[in-house]
Amino acid sequence: MSSKTTNRRIGKVIIYIFLVILALIMLIPFVWMITASLKLNKDIFVIPYAWLGFEPRWQNYIDIWTKIPLAKYALNTVKLTLIVTLLQILTSSFAAYAFAKLQFKGRNLLFLAYIATIAVPWQVYMVPQFIFMRKLGLADTHLAIIILQAFSAFGVFLMRQFYEGIPDSLCEAARIDGMSEYKIYAKIMLPLSKPALSTLVIFTFVNTWNDFLGPLIYLTTDSKKTLQIGIKMFISQYSAEYGLIMAASVLSLIPVLIVFMALQKYFVAGITTGAVKG
Amino acid sequence: MKKKVISTLLAVSMIAATLTACGSSAAPAAEAPAAEAPAAEAPAAEAPAAEAPAAEAPAADEPVTLKWALWDKDATVYYQPLIDGYTAAHPNVTIEMVDLGSTDYQTVLGTQLSGSDANFDVVTIKDVPGLVTLANKGVLEPLDSLIAQDGIDLSVYSGITDQIKVNDALYELPFRRDIWVLFYNKDVFDKAGVDYPTNDMTWEEYDELARKITDTTPGAEVYGAHYHTWRSTIQLLGILDGKHTIVDGTYDFTKPYYEMVLAQQKDGVCMDYATLKTQGLHYSAAFYQGNVGMMNMGSWFIPTLIAKVKDGEAAAAANWGIVKYPHAEGVAPGSTLATITALAIPTSAPNKEAAWDFVKFVSGPEGAEIMASTGNTPAMSNDAINAKIAEMDGFPTDANSKDALTAAAAYLEMPANEKSSEIETVLNEQHDNIMNEVSTVDDAIEAMNEGVQAIIGQ
Amino acid sequence: MSNEAAMTQARRTKGMSARERKRALVAYSFIAPNFIGFAVFTLGPIILAFIMAFTEWDGSNPMKFIGIGNFSSLFANDRFVAALKNTIVYSLFTVPLTLVAALGLAILLNQKIKGRTFFRTVAFFPYVASLVAVAAVWNMLFTPSKGGLMNQLLMNVFHTEPLKWAAAPNTVMLTIILFSIWKNMGYYMVIYLAGLQGISEDLYEAASLDGANSWQKFWYVTLPQLKPTTFFVTVMLTISCFKIYDIVYMLAGGSNGVVNKSAIVLVYYIYEEAFRNWKLGSASAAALVLFAIVLVITLIQFRGEKNYAND
Repeated sequence: MSSKTTNRRIGKVIIYIFLVILALIMLIPFVWMITASLKLNKDIFVIPYAWLGFEPRWQNYIDIWTKIPLAKYALNTVKLTLIVTLLQILTSSFAAYAFAKLQFKGRNLLFLAYIATIAVPWQVYMVPQFIFMRKLGLADTHLAIIILQAFSAFGVFLMRQFYEGIPDSLCEAARIDGMSEYKIYAKIMLPLSKPALSTLVIFTFVNTWNDFLGPLIYLTTDSKKTLQIGIKMFISQYSAEYGLIMAASVLSLIPVLIVFMALQKYFVAGITTGAVKG
Repeated sequence: MKKKVISTLLAVSMIAATLTACGSSAAPAAEAPAAEAPAAEAPAAEAPAAEAPAAEAPAADEPVTLKWALWDKDATVYYQPLIDGYTAAHPNVTIEMVDLGSTDYQTVLGTQLSGSDANFDVVTIKDVPGLVTLANKGVLEPLDSLIAQDGIDLSVYSGITDQIKVNDALYELPFRRDIWVLFYNKDVFDKAGVDYPTNDMTWEEYDELARKITDTTPGAEVYGAHYHTWRSTIQLLGILDGKHTIVDGTYDFTKPYYEMVLAQQKDGVCMDYATLKTQGLHYSAAFYQGNVGMMNMGSWFIPTLIAKVKDGEAAAAANWGIVKYPHAEGVAPGSTLATITALAIPTSAPNKEAAWDFVKFVSGPEGAEIMASTGNTPAMSNDAINAKIAEMDGFPTDANSKDALTAAAAYLEMPANEKSSEIETVLNEQHDNIMNEVSTVDDAIEAMNEGVQAIIGQ
Repeated sequence: MSNEAAMTQARRTKGMSARERKRALVAYSFIAPNFIGFAVFTLGPIILAFIMAFTEWDGSNPMKFIGIGNFSSLFANDRFVAALKNTIVYSLFTVPLTLVAALGLAILLNQKIKGRTFFRTVAFFPYVASLVAVAAVWNMLFTPSKGGLMNQLLMNVFHTEPLKWAAAPNTVMLTIILFSIWKNMGYYMVIYLAGLQGISEDLYEAASLDGANSWQKFWYVTLPQLKPTTFFVTVMLTISCFKIYDIVYMLAGGSNGVVNKSAIVLVYYIYEEAFRNWKLGSASAAALVLFAIVLVITLIQFRGEKNYAND
C-alpha cells in the first residue's frame, strides 16, 4: 500500500536472496563431506568432482565401525567433552564474576595475565607441560586431557566480557538487600547470562570434541583414544581412506550441530531486558 | 593490613605453584645427563665382558614385557607376524605395540622420549631426519658395541648402514628397505600399441616412451608419466649416477631432470604440479584412475596396489607391472633410491637386553623372511627373499617385474646428516618454486646451492 | 554509569575497611578454582617456556643458558623474518574483515526472519566442518588451473588473467586470508549474537522516541553497547590470527608438509623449530616475539576498554 511497506518488503526479499546465496556457499563443504563419504577413495580428489550420479557406497558407514573401535572412541570423546564442558562453565563463570563485578587488588593485572597466556602457542610449552604431567603420573590418562582443557583462560575472558555488560546497579541493589556475593552470582548473574553460557558451552564442546593433538600426545593406550585420533587412523603412511574419513567426520559432526541448534535459541532478544527492568 | 597479608599469600602461592611446575619439569632435564651417562658407558664396560659370554646372557625365563613404539598398528600387515615369530621362540617375552599415529609420529615420539621417564623399549624410526634429531637429542642407544659383541654382519644390508651413521655411530638397525621402481599400467601401453618399458632404459628412452602413450584429448587424457609432488620423484633422479649426494651443497646435477619433467608438464605428458598440489591427489588414486602410463614410486606401493586390485578399487590399473628405474647414460641399470625403516633402543628403555634381542631378530634373517612373506621388502635383500615377494598372489607374473626387485645400487633418499631436516626445507621450497614455474630452474638451483651451503657452513 | 564510577572513586579514597577486606577474600574465592588449575598446568609451563627462550634445549639434554642468542639468530633467519611479515600482513587484513563480516551476519541473523535457526547453523558450519572437507571445496573453487570457478569468473566477468591462487607466492596469502574469513566468521558471529542479547530493548525504544532511524540506532545504541563484546572479539581474533597454523598447513603445505617462505607463519615456524629441529629454545624465543606483539596490541585495546568503563 504505502511506499514504506513496499520498501520494507523489497528489503526483506533482498535479505533473503543474500542469505540463501550465503547459505549455499557455506553448505557446499557439507555437501562435499556427505558425497565424499559415499565414494571410493580414488574418486574423491579428481577433477571434475562428481556431485551427483555416482553409485553411493554405504559400505563406508559400516566399515568405519569395524576397521577401528569407533564406538569406544566416541564414548571416550563424549565422556571427556561432557566433563570438560561442565568444569569449564562452572569455574569460568565463577572467576569471571569476580573479574567483572568485584573490586580487589591486582584485578587488572591478573586478568591481563589470563588473556596474555591465550597468546602463547601450545606448541612451545607442550613439551615441558607433558614432562610435568608425566611426573605427576598423568601421562596416558583422561584426567590429563580434562585438566588441560577445563581451566582455560578463554572461558574466563568470554564470561567476564559478558558480565561487564550487565549493569552494576543490579548487584548493588542485591547487596543492599543483604545478599551474599555467592547468592548474587547464583541467583542473578547466572540466570542472566544464558546467551553467554550457551556460547561458552558451544565453543568448549566444539574444541574438546575436535581436539586432536592433545589426546594424540597424551593418550597412548588404544582403549583410551578419542574420536579424532580414530578418524586420523584412516590416514596411514602409504594411503589415506578419505571415503571413510568423511563418513566418520559426518557422524562426528552430528552431536556438534545438535548442541549448536539446541543452544542458539538462547540468542533471542529480550530475555535479559525483563530482568534488568525488575 | 589483613588484605595485604592475603594478597601476599596469594602471590606466594602463585609463585610456588609456578615454581613447582617449573621445578618438576626442569628436573628431568637436569637428570637426563645422569641417566644418560651410565648408558653411554655401559657398552664400553661390556666390551671386555664379551669374552665371557655366559656372564651377560639375558635371564632366559623371566617374564619381560617390551613396549614397542610404532604407527599404523592395524593397517600394517607385518607387526603381528614379527611378534608371533619372536615370541614363539621366546615365550617369556610379551610385546606391547603402542601406536603413535602415522602423520605426527615424529612429533609424538620426540615428545614421549623427552625427559627421563619414557618407558619404550623399542622404537621404530620412520626416516633419516627423524633418526638424526633423536640421536642428537641423545635419547637413542648407540648399537656399535652390541653389534661387535654379537658379531652381526652388516654387509647383508648392502651398504645402507654406512649411510645412516650419526657422528660415526650406528643408532638403528634397518628391518625394511623400500626401493623406487617404475610402475606402469599395461592396458595403457596395449591401447596405444606401444611396447612395455624394460629394465634397461635411459632417461631419454623413458621420456620418449612417456610421450608416445600420451593423449591430450580433453576429457579423455592419458598421461604418459605421473610424478607425485614430493621432491624425491624428480630431484633425486640426479643422485643415481653415484657421483652426487643430496647433502653436497651443489645441485646443478638436478637440472636435466627438472627440464625433462617441466617439458612433459608443458606438453600435458604429466599432470600439472600446481593442480596436483592444491588438489591433494594421492599418487595411488592417480594410478587407480587407469589413465596414467608410468609412475615412479617406492616398492611400498606394491602390497597396497595388490590389495586394491583385489577389492576392486584399482580395477582400471589391475594389469600393472614394474620395471627398474631408468638410468643415465653410462650408469649401470638398476641404480635406484631407497628408504629404510629401522628399529632403535631408547636410552631410557627399561629392558635394554631383551630389546636388543628383539631388534636383532626383526632386522635379522628370520625377520626378513617374515617381512617377505607379507609382501614387504626387508632391509636385507637377496635373491631368495625377492623370489618370495614375487611369488605373492597378485604380483605381476612377467619376468621383468620380478627382476625389478633387485637393485644394482641403492642410494638413500636422505643420508644421515646433522642438518638433514634444515637442508630438506630448502630443497623442498625450491622444488616447489621450479614445479610451480615461479622460478627458473637455474635460479632455483642457485638458491638451493646458496641456502644449503649456508646451512652446512653454520 | 558515571554515578557508579564516582562511587568507586569515593570508596578508593576512603582506604580499606573491614568490609573491603572481606570482599577481596570473597573475590579470591571466586577466582581460585579456575586459577589454581590454570596456574599449575598452564601458567607454570608457559613461564618455563619463556625461560627456555634464553636457553638451548632439545627436551632431553641439559638446558644451556645462552642469553639473547636465540633472538639474534632469529632475526638473522630469513624464514623467521618471512614468517613474521606474513603473520602481520595476514592479521592486518583478516582481523578487521572478519570482525565486520561477523557483526554484519549477527545483526542480520538477530532479526526475526524465517528459518533463522537454519541460517545461523549454516553460518557456523564452516567453523566446525572437517578442515579437510572445507579445504577441498575451497581448492576446487580456487584451483590454479583455468577451469576453476574463480578463475572462470576472473576471465569471463572481470576479463583479467587467471590467478594461481595458493600455488603462487604472490597470491597465496590472499587465498589464505579469504579462506579464513569464510571459515571463521560464523564463530565470531556466535559471540556477537550472544552480545546482542545483552542490549536492553529500552534503549532502542528511547532512541525511537527521539526519532532515530535504523542507522542511527545502530551507530548510537548497538555499537557502544557491544563494546565489551567487540573488545573480546578483537582480542581473540588478533590472537587467533597471530596463532594461525592449520589453515596455512592445509592450503599451502605440500604433500611433503613443508610451507614455503611465501606462506610461512609464526606458529608454523615455531612448530618446525620445536618438532622438526628440536630447538625448543629457539622455538620459545619466536613464541616470545609473537607474545610481545599480541600483548602490546591487547594492552592498547585494554586501555580503550577501560576508558569506556569509566565513561
